[in-house]
Amino acid sequence: MADTVKITIDDIEHEVPAGMNLIDAAKLCGVDIPVFCYHPKLGHDGNCRMCLVELGLPRKNRETGEMELAWFPKLETACTQKTCEGMAIRTTTERVTDARRAVLEFLLSSHPLDCPICDKGGECPLQNLTMAHGPGTSRMYWEDRMHLGKHVALGELIFLDQERCIHCARCIRFQEKIALDPVLGFDMRGRKQQIVTSSTPGFNSIFSGNTTDICPVGALTTADFRFNARPWEMVQVATICSHCPVGCNMSFDTRTDRLAGGRTTIRRVMPRQNEAVNEIWICDKGRFARHYMEHEERLTTPLVRKGGMLVEATWEEAIREVAAQLKAAGPNIGAVAGGRLSNEDLYALQKLIRGQGSGDLSAYLPNATGGEIAARFGVGVGTNLKYLGAGDAIVVVASDLHEEAPIWWLRAAAAARRGAELIVISGRETRLDVEASQSIRCAYGAEVATLNAMLGSLPKTAVKAGESLDGMAEAIVHAKEFTADAALKAAAKTIAGAGNAVIFVGSEGLTGEASRELAQASANLLAATGHVGRANNGLIIVWPSANGQGAADMGFDPGFGPGYQPVDKPGRSYGDIFAALADDVIKVLVIAGADPVYDDLTAEESIRKTKGFIVVQEMFLTETAKLADVVLPVQSAAECEGTYTSGERRVQRFYPAVEPLGESLPAWLITQRIGEVLGQGAPSVSAAVLLAEIGRNVPQYAGITCQTLAKVEEQFPDVGGEDLYYGGTSFQNVRGLGVQWPTLAEQVDAPLSVAPAQAGEVLEPADGEMIVVPVTLVYDTEALFFKTQLLHQRVPLPHIGLNPADAGRLDMVDGDLVSLTIDDHRVAAAAYLDERVPSGVVTIPRRLQTQGAPLFATTAPVVKLEKVEA
Amino acid sequence: MSLLERRKEDIERHLAKYPQKQSAVMPLLYIAQEEYGYITEEAMEEIASIVDTDVTQVRGIVGFYTMYYSQEKGKYLIQICTDLPCALRGAEAFSAKVCEALGIQPGETTDDGLFTVENVMCIGACDRAPVIQVNFKFYENMDMDSFNDLIEALRREHDAMQPYSHE
Amino acid sequence: MTHILLRELDIPDIGKMEVYLANGGYDGLKKALSDHQPDDVINIVRESGLRGRGGAGFPAGVKWSFVPKDVFPKYVCVNADESEPGTFKDRQLMENNPHQLIEGALICAYAIQASAVYIYIRGEYWDIADHLDRKIAEARKKGFIGKNILKSGWDCEVYTHRGAGAYICGEETALLESLEGKRGQPRLRPPFPASEGLYAKPTVINNVETLSNVPYILVNGADAYREIGEGDSPGTKIFCLSGCVNKPGNYELPFGGETTFRKLIFEMGGGIPDGKQIKAILPAGASAAILPATDEVLDTPIVYGAFRAWGTDIGSASVIVLDEMVDIAWAAKKMINFFSHESCGQCTPCREGTYWLSRLYKRMDSGQADAGDIQTMDAVAAQMEGKCICALGEFAVNPVRATIKHFPEDYERAVGNGRLSRR
Ligand SMILES: Cc1cc2nc3c(=O)[nH]c(=O)nc-3n(C[C@H](O)[C@H](O)[C@H](O)COP(=O)(O)O)c2cc1C
Ligand code: SF4
Ligand code: FES
Repeated sequence: MADTVKITIDDIEHEVPAGMNLIDAAKLCGVDIPVFCYHPKLGHDGNCRMCLVELGLPRKNRETGEMELAWFPKLETACTQKTCEGMAIRTTTERVTDARRAVLEFLLSSHPLDCPICDKGGECPLQNLTMAHGPGTSRMYWEDRMHLGKHVALGELIFLDQERCIHCARCIRFQEKIALDPVLGFDMRGRKQQIVTSSTPGFNSIFSGNTTDICPVGALTTADFRFNARPWEMVQVATICSHCPVGCNMSFDTRTDRLAGGRTTIRRVMPRQNEAVNEIWICDKGRFARHYMEHEERLTTPLVRKGGMLVEATWEEAIREVAAQLKAAGPNIGAVAGGRLSNEDLYALQKLIRGQGSGDLSAYLPNATGGEIAARFGVGVGTNLKYLGAGDAIVVVASDLHEEAPIWWLRAAAAARRGAELIVISGRETRLDVEASQSIRCAYGAEVATLNAMLGSLPKTAVKAGESLDGMAEAIVHAKEFTADAALKAAAKTIAGAGNAVIFVGSEGLTGEASRELAQASANLLAATGHVGRANNGLIIVWPSANGQGAADMGFDPGFGPGYQPVDKPGRSYGDIFAALADDVIKVLVIAGADPVYDDLTAEESIRKTKGFIVVQEMFLTETAKLADVVLPVQSAAECEGTYTSGERRVQRFYPAVEPLGESLPAWLITQRIGEVLGQGAPSVSAAVLLAEIGRNVPQYAGITCQTLAKVEEQFPDVGGEDLYYGGTSFQNVRGLGVQWPTLAEQVDAPLSVAPAQAGEVLEPADGEMIVVPVTLVYDTEALFFKTQLLHQRVPLPHIGLNPADAGRLDMVDGDLVSLTIDDHRVAAAAYLDERVPSGVVTIPRRLQTQGAPLFATTAPVVKLEKVEA
Repeated sequence: MSLLERRKEDIERHLAKYPQKQSAVMPLLYIAQEEYGYITEEAMEEIASIVDTDVTQVRGIVGFYTMYYSQEKGKYLIQICTDLPCALRGAEAFSAKVCEALGIQPGETTDDGLFTVENVMCIGACDRAPVIQVNFKFYENMDMDSFNDLIEALRREHDAMQPYSHE
Repeated sequence: MTHILLRELDIPDIGKMEVYLANGGYDGLKKALSDHQPDDVINIVRESGLRGRGGAGFPAGVKWSFVPKDVFPKYVCVNADESEPGTFKDRQLMENNPHQLIEGALICAYAIQASAVYIYIRGEYWDIADHLDRKIAEARKKGFIGKNILKSGWDCEVYTHRGAGAYICGEETALLESLEGKRGQPRLRPPFPASEGLYAKPTVINNVETLSNVPYILVNGADAYREIGEGDSPGTKIFCLSGCVNKPGNYELPFGGETTFRKLIFEMGGGIPDGKQIKAILPAGASAAILPATDEVLDTPIVYGAFRAWGTDIGSASVIVLDEMVDIAWAAKKMINFFSHESCGQCTPCREGTYWLSRLYKRMDSGQADAGDIQTMDAVAAQMEGKCICALGEFAVNPVRATIKHFPEDYERAVGNGRLSRR
């Protein structure tokens, strides 16, 4: 517990944490000091002058030597004060109320009174504070007001109403201090001062939407929501973002709409406060990429292939057909499941497949594995990246966090700015390197070797904590075979000496097995240095999808059953599944919530070649679905309920927000109906019941129920709920903060062990070849994402990243058409010269090239295509 | 040609003055203004990249300070101080006469693109009012005679700099 | 009287290095480096009682003593932004006696052990900045600037930095922001520049005139300096005399004693043109409250604080004289337009208040004002008071409230009538 001090607010003494911002401290004592520019997440700026109070501080009387309370002659801004012993403020005196009224009158003197058509109306701090403290009327003459632009586009996503802006600079400060994209600024000065952006594209930041939440007036609005609904008409439905493993808490704000034929529709997506996960932020992908849910191309009925064509069918027909095929195939079946599926969907699917005697279950994308290592050495319960700072260490290996998990990027960068050592280990420079205190470049494929070398370089004294662990001695002997240079030694020392240490384990350039070894190497390093088994310590896998951890937990891993329980016979890996499919060994393959034909160069071949039966559970007729024999329409996360498990192993629940589209069903229910035909028993009554079943069969999920997931605790700082001082928009979390399940390392006397991490091979390109590394972008052309028209302009054109030196050698300039030939597949796209791509490597963004990208890093000839004359 | 190509030495001299690059924004903006007559979008972008900041921040500087121009102005920028001390010595009337002589309003540019007139706040020569600056050079104790002479001289200077052309 | 500051009046070519050196130039710096520890220099300046000439009159030596000893690097910023309407003294000092400023700045830099001096000069003084650059080069050639200055082992650089048309950059923290390549918006205090100034390092900011006094103090000692002037206003002050006077210009006079507005305006300035009567005095440009030109005011010996009873001070001593023909509401409008134009826009009361006031004056000018508008003007100004981040907003209160208080008839005349004008 932090030290406390006594302060007096309006003659009442309170005990509050020492050194706390006075506004926050007063709020803890139930006293709201009105603010506009201050925001607990942004710190103070002192520009609005709304928070003026009478302030007294203890001072030694020069004559008597006694301490006495000295009141400042002028009013002081509370937002710029930190609590200290003996501090006194008055917030209700006439001087203070006059000052508040004065400041409000000034702000309103230029503010249009267009509340009736303002998107912020109803949740507007200016509106609320005016009601509480403001003058009833303005003395400024109407014709003396400034009249300014009301629909100024700051890019295509965010609009500015210049008249409404009160110049609090919250948006600028958010971009500068939190998003670290200083693309907003003031132009001009005095009363002519205006918010502008000059970036290309306008307001170039993947966090731009957050500024509309923290804008204390209706000056900033999103293109998605402006003039779309009034806040009080909407119902907020808790949900979890399904785009990346961070698991941001969000809400779908819905309204029943006459225009939509009386259906309930989503009007906007808002962050929900969860200080341990996303605080109050979400990225623009989470906020805007929602339109697929209500998209007209959504599948609404089952489709069955007849005479070579997919035709509409009844559920009964489709399910009967799938069940029959499964029955006929016996154990020669498999399933590939995307990480957008809920735990319930995944649990049901594995149960179906295992129930038929097969263990061929792969998660998609299959690049990241190692869930069982996270189950042992993942970050401890209570982890909150917000508390990492000076003296702590964060390692990010093989991941471009900004693109793969934006909110983790933001929080890791914030920790670095608070003084945490940020060590970035990767094959190429990414945005995180700018924030890093130690940037370590290693060859693609040498990640495990690098971490091993770090472990091996540690002196015996540094491994004291992990010495006794089973297998540690062998792991260290093994690690000593790798040599560490000075930089690696320094990094290892930093980790060993850190108070807390977290490693983000990514999978850029890795295969599934390599990523498992990397997780193992990370675990070894953390365990050796005593950074496991407690909060704010351990590893986090940067899964390529929202529920990658959940998929692993549910047993989508050839080596394990649900809950990492041993299996008699390991199943096939992703690659082997498709190989077996091509060879007609696998006779039925269920592909759920994944589009391998689009992402993976080789999947299409296998599917086209096989005589087997392909079942696809999807929302859209994806490239994979087009080749399927049966397509089963599933509901989106907005229509059904379920749980996701974040990369930090926090199980979180989402709720149905809108009515299901057409005949679509929850994926788990479809699966269980098939199971029912196969004699596996009747479907669960609800996802909640299924969750209870998971709790019984997956040890880690024991005790996790809808009730525990729905628990909330007071969040600090409190920016949600009724409190419209800080936020404006409601961020309140009333539907649950989720439950982080404990790792094995946190349990006493658990059978915990480590093992040597096997370094894979570094790719050796032959003459004329280069290493091809598929990379992830936050905005791509993935089937669901690309349904949101609003974000199209932000999706880059297909390109292949290339070091300028290599380009020079190959006689290429920016924009030249380049081709790669990977296993007989040719991928061509424009060359994008980028110094951050290491020499000898080309990067190729996933889900951008029409011809697809390889799933794993490989080597390939890279040539310049001559321009084809028309 | 980029600013860096045109004025590399000056730019480097300014960068060397400060421990942080961003401090050089103001001198570099002056260089851009000298080179292009006003501060172009491209110049802002180039300066942002030279000093390692976002172009939005550079634009904010251009907008904040009145001596930077993001729009084309006349070749000779005539700034007349009409602030209180000068106004007490007839500067407002003088400004009106100047505008009349040039046939423009304050803030406007003559049709030939030669002269822009602006009324400005105190420029620190109140004891020698009326006072003007032409391209930031002081001309003090002005009256219409000396002003007309000055305009003539500037026109001659401009004509002399025109490349020879035949109809 | 011989001049301490405007020495060119006694020695015409004092701006030339040889002449400056021949007349004791850089002796102060030499003495400081050879005879004194840095702390001694601070003590000497503190004992001299030298007060800042930029407006606030804060004792220079005391300010220097706030600089922490153990944080490096440190900086000196010379405030040559001189943008207060009616102020033109620093310009003359830099044009005619630049080495004295450079020397003073170097002594200050030595006293606080700074490694660089930045002279922040308003952009409109374009040629003066070039002139200073040449003078800095001369001083460097002589070994007064650069590495191991006068073999003392201490290094210091001197640079000029041009502002670009923003009065607010004369405010010391806005100056620092501007110098860092940002918009010139004042910082919140604390921290004060002495502990976290330029690039968050300890920094002393002094006005040109303040620092120009320092060589004299080093050469002649604190006591000699205290002998000039009066009480806690030692030394001389340059008065910038402008407006309705026959001989406007800079006049250097010792504080107190015979130095009064009467002497300044009628003896030095040659009185009011065209036989008109004096009506009022703006003692410090647009920033300080107006003084009605009563005999009492005209005959009060001028020291810091002499006009406290009238709610005003001499600030940077830019004395603007208003004669009987001047409509005070018009003068107030000019001043409010100035502040509205120069408000940085950061804090609400100043940004909105100055704009609102400018609209009210415009209204009055165009004959649309009613009696209630005078009250509104006063109230708007009053509610800005004490709420702004920096003094600009507080300054802007003065032209309104003090003029309404002292010259209500000028406002009343304008009601329904309009056309505020000089005469
Ligand atoms: C709005 C404003 C404008 C100012 N302008 C100037 C100026 O132009 N020159 C100056 O020396 N001080 C100016 N000052 C005062 C400075 O903030 C600061 O007090 C001064 O530079 C300190 O130097 P001194 O102690 O030597 O006077 C201004 C202050 C304010 C609030
Ligand atoms: S747009 Fe909103 S957040 Fe930004 S400065 Fe204006 S009022 Fe503040
Ligand atoms: S000044 Fe304190 S909240 Fe704005």
